[in-house]
Amino acid sequence: MGLVSWLIFIPFITALAVMMTPSRKTMLFRWIALAGTSLHLLLTAVVTYQYWSQAIANVNADSKALFSTLYLVEKIPWFESLGIQYMVGVDGISVSMVMLTSIVIFAGVLASWSVAERGKEFFAMLLILVTGVFGVFVSFDLFLFFIFYELAVLPMYLLIGIWGTGPKEYAAMKLTLMLMLSSALILVGILALHHGSEFHTFDLTKLAETNYPLDFQNWVFPLVFVGFGVIGALYPLHTWSPDGHSSAPTAVSMLHAGVLMKLGGYGALRVGIYLLPEGAKNWAMFFMVVTTINIIYGAFAAIKQKDLKYFTAYSSVSHCGFVLFGVAALNLIGIRGAVIQMFSHGIMTALFFGLIGMVYSRTHTRMIPEMGGLGQRMPWLSTCFYIAGLASLGLPGLFGFVAESNVFFGGFFGNPWGDMTLAKILTVIATLSIVVTAVYVLRGLAQVFQGPLDETKFGNVTDAALPDKISAGILVATLAIGGLLPWYFVRLIESSLMPLVNRLASNGGGW
Amino acid sequence: MSPEIIVAVTGFILLLADLFLAEKNKRVLAPLALVGIFAALVSLALILPNAGETLGGRFAVNPVTSWFKIFFLLGGAFTVALVWNSKSHERISSGGEFFTILLFTQVGMMFLISARELITLYISLELSTIPLFALAAWKRGDIQSGEAGLKYVVYGALASALLLYGLGVLYGVSGHFELATIRDNISSTPALWLAAALIIAGIGFKLTLTPFHMWAADVYQGAPTAVTAYLSVASKAAGLAFMFQLLFGVFGEQISDWKWLIALLATATMTLGNLVAIVQHNIKRFMAFSSISQAGNLILGFIGPYPEGVAAMLFYMLVFVFTNIAVFGVIIFYSDATGQTQIDEYRGLSRTNPLIALTMTLALFGLAGIPPLAGFVGKFFLFSIAAKAGMHWLVAVAAINSTISLYYYLRIVRAMYIEPPDEKSCRLVVSPVMQVTLLMASFGVVFLGIFPFFYDVIQESTAGWIAMFGGR
Repeated sequence: MGLVSWLIFIPFITALAVMMTPSRKTMLFRWIALAGTSLHLLLTAVVTYQYWSQAIANVNADSKALFSTLYLVEKIPWFESLGIQYMVGVDGISVSMVMLTSIVIFAGVLASWSVAERGKEFFAMLLILVTGVFGVFVSFDLFLFFIFYELAVLPMYLLIGIWGTGPKEYAAMKLTLMLMLSSALILVGILALHHGSEFHTFDLTKLAETNYPLDFQNWVFPLVFVGFGVIGALYPLHTWSPDGHSSAPTAVSMLHAGVLMKLGGYGALRVGIYLLPEGAKNWAMFFMVVTTINIIYGAFAAIKQKDLKYFTAYSSVSHCGFVLFGVAALNLIGIRGAVIQMFSHGIMTALFFGLIGMVYSRTHTRMIPEMGGLGQRMPWLSTCFYIAGLASLGLPGLFGFVAESNVFFGGFFGNPWGDMTLAKILTVIATLSIVVTAVYVLRGLAQVFQGPLDETKFGNVTDAALPDKISAGILVATLAIGGLLPWYFVRLIESSLMPLVNRLASNGGGW
Repeated sequence: MSPEIIVAVTGFILLLADLFLAEKNKRVLAPLALVGIFAALVSLALILPNAGETLGGRFAVNPVTSWFKIFFLLGGAFTVALVWNSKSHERISSGGEFFTILLFTQVGMMFLISARELITLYISLELSTIPLFALAAWKRGDIQSGEAGLKYVVYGALASALLLYGLGVLYGVSGHFELATIRDNISSTPALWLAAALIIAGIGFKLTLTPFHMWAADVYQGAPTAVTAYLSVASKAAGLAFMFQLLFGVFGEQISDWKWLIALLATATMTLGNLVAIVQHNIKRFMAFSSISQAGNLILGFIGPYPEGVAAMLFYMLVFVFTNIAVFGVIIFYSDATGQTQIDEYRGLSRTNPLIALTMTLALFGLAGIPPLAGFVGKFFLFSIAAKAGMHWLVAVAAINSTISLYYYLRIVRAMYIEPPDEKSCRLVVSPVMQVTLLMASFGVVFLGIFPFFYDVIQESTAGWIAMFGGR
């Protein structure tokens, strides 16, 4: 097995190992999970280094071969007669998404250090879920891709249903069914792509060479984009997300908002834009309008929330709107911004949800109006909270700024196949959401951490414990590093986006 | 013909043994039946790649027929294993007639797929159906079982009559009994359409296609659970075999003309089965509707004259045998141990018997088509056939139906995993035979889809079917 396969199998093997441990040895399986995720973090670093040293040196800015930056490929025939193979590899986008997931799951394991009830099963399910996520990011065969995609979605049901809070069964069922319905759309799209191609394969690199007829692209593209859009919280199909996030246990919210929702943007880009460029051009303006609604709607909805988790969930809807908005802009800066936004929002939301979990376990309430002055008792947590909040409203110096500025520049630039003026207007509207974000973030945080402390209720709350500090610390550090040294990251992503953009530009339409 | 002979002889041996064995020695009957079935399976495996015919061309063997026979026998073997050692079936497992009748239906099914002319076809169909009436009513004291038997007889007789009429018309328009000759002598006339409609009705009964599924729920609920399992896998495979005979055997490559009919039947079957399953409370009735909707998936393989359609259908049937048997195994185990047959009453099973709950979950997810389980791979291949025929809407219908089915399968998972157990419930003991059966079934559920070997074998051995049926 090569390096990339290990990216998938380490979490899976760790999950099996956790399942094998006797349930009364609570410390043992926690350490196994932590060891597995640490090892994974290490491996991710190795893969990133390998990719960097091979790909960045050879970047060809004029290349039009979509998968020219695909490295570390492993290809094993699977159902050969049907053109299905086990094919994994990494390009710049995959590497960045793997990095994100690896960091978030590491932080997630630490944040759920104290899960007591059926802890063993919890960690095992969590690890199986990320197995699916890693699989999606590194597979380059559509069949394999789809398998991992569903594998990433389904464990959510049990994770929320068993360990969640509030109306957990309702939320779990709603989430599962909506995501599965959306995957039905994706399945139709995948099979249509397979049978529409003359290569008789599911190999993504081969399918990308197919020139699908225009009307074919026009009906498959919206199917695929909406299918993936549902998990990326595309308005008006985002409704599973606030319910799901707020009912889920801490680590699951972290993973879900941080990573799982990124599968949507990733899939829309990888399957939608890569394979169906002409369809994308025709539909781009439509989806820009929809995602603008996403951004504004999410931000305004967040203002009204009283529950910290709902508050963050709606803010996620708004921020995930940026991802799809950037993708729909169809130019280098926009798509680049979308990928950076996926990363930075992933880290930021994971931090948010992790901190909310930590606060909740101390105060036993998530209602914003009930809290106040907590900063006096939890200086550490409140500082982290403020950093996350500032990243979320796009303060320069943190990663969120890099992402959002790219998305806005890209959007303002517009795409030459759509209405340039409309794109500019939409971008201006979307930019206004930053103001709204500032309102809800600053107001919410001030209410929770500033002001007088209710001694009777919160007199005895403590600050972060060591696992919490490491968990939040690594996420804060990532936000800061990304914000201060964005160009490494930008180069990583750009290396793989350049061919895509060149190709989009070459097929009709000037640049 | 050796597998058929082995099974028939075993049936007679069991009948005689039942007469002469002392009551306490009758425990050997079930293992004996298993030995017979396994011997037949081995001889089938040996002749799998071969093709040939006997009885003056009335009985033909080729890889496709052999695969069907393997499914029948697997279904039979699992059913015997489920009956063996299970408490509520004490009277069954000590009754040699039960196994004899079961084995005779097996012979009927095996002849059904190998038959090459109408009379043999009809007789073998009856041989595989009529004994099942008796099996459905096996619990003599039980009023529901009696009702099941009676309903099955009435509907079965009606379906048989329609079918016989259809076969008669088919003979009338072609003037021949042999399937291959009929194929060369028919043209698209109203009489042929009448024949086809009647025959489809007859098949629909066996395969529980909507709107011919009416009998299924009551019969599945009332019959002894092992018989229900048998009905849902082996009998369904027989219906599929019959459909295969008629559609591919008689209509050959012209089945493209039929794709709309198949698509409509599949849509109706899946949708109705799924929607009605949502509101069921009794788990056997629930499984009846779930199996109905699965039949809708199975017939997607008939959408076009594609070799991979047959392979996909056979593969899904194989997966379905293992998956459904796993579910019914758990149902039998649980109702034996606790007497419970309601879905809500599975609550907390994951705490008392985690492995049983895991088996059930895997099997249910397999039925819903969740990757990487075999059910997903099988469904994916079948959906792919619909896409290949250009019917993308059908893929959407089928995939959405899978989501609906996931909803109701999750109800059981929720009861087992999320709801707390009753205070008085304790760990239930699983008999060794049941352990082995469930283990084998779960292995099938998990590994059939991961290792390409199984699909490849089916695909390779059946790739040439179109030539076998004289296709162009």
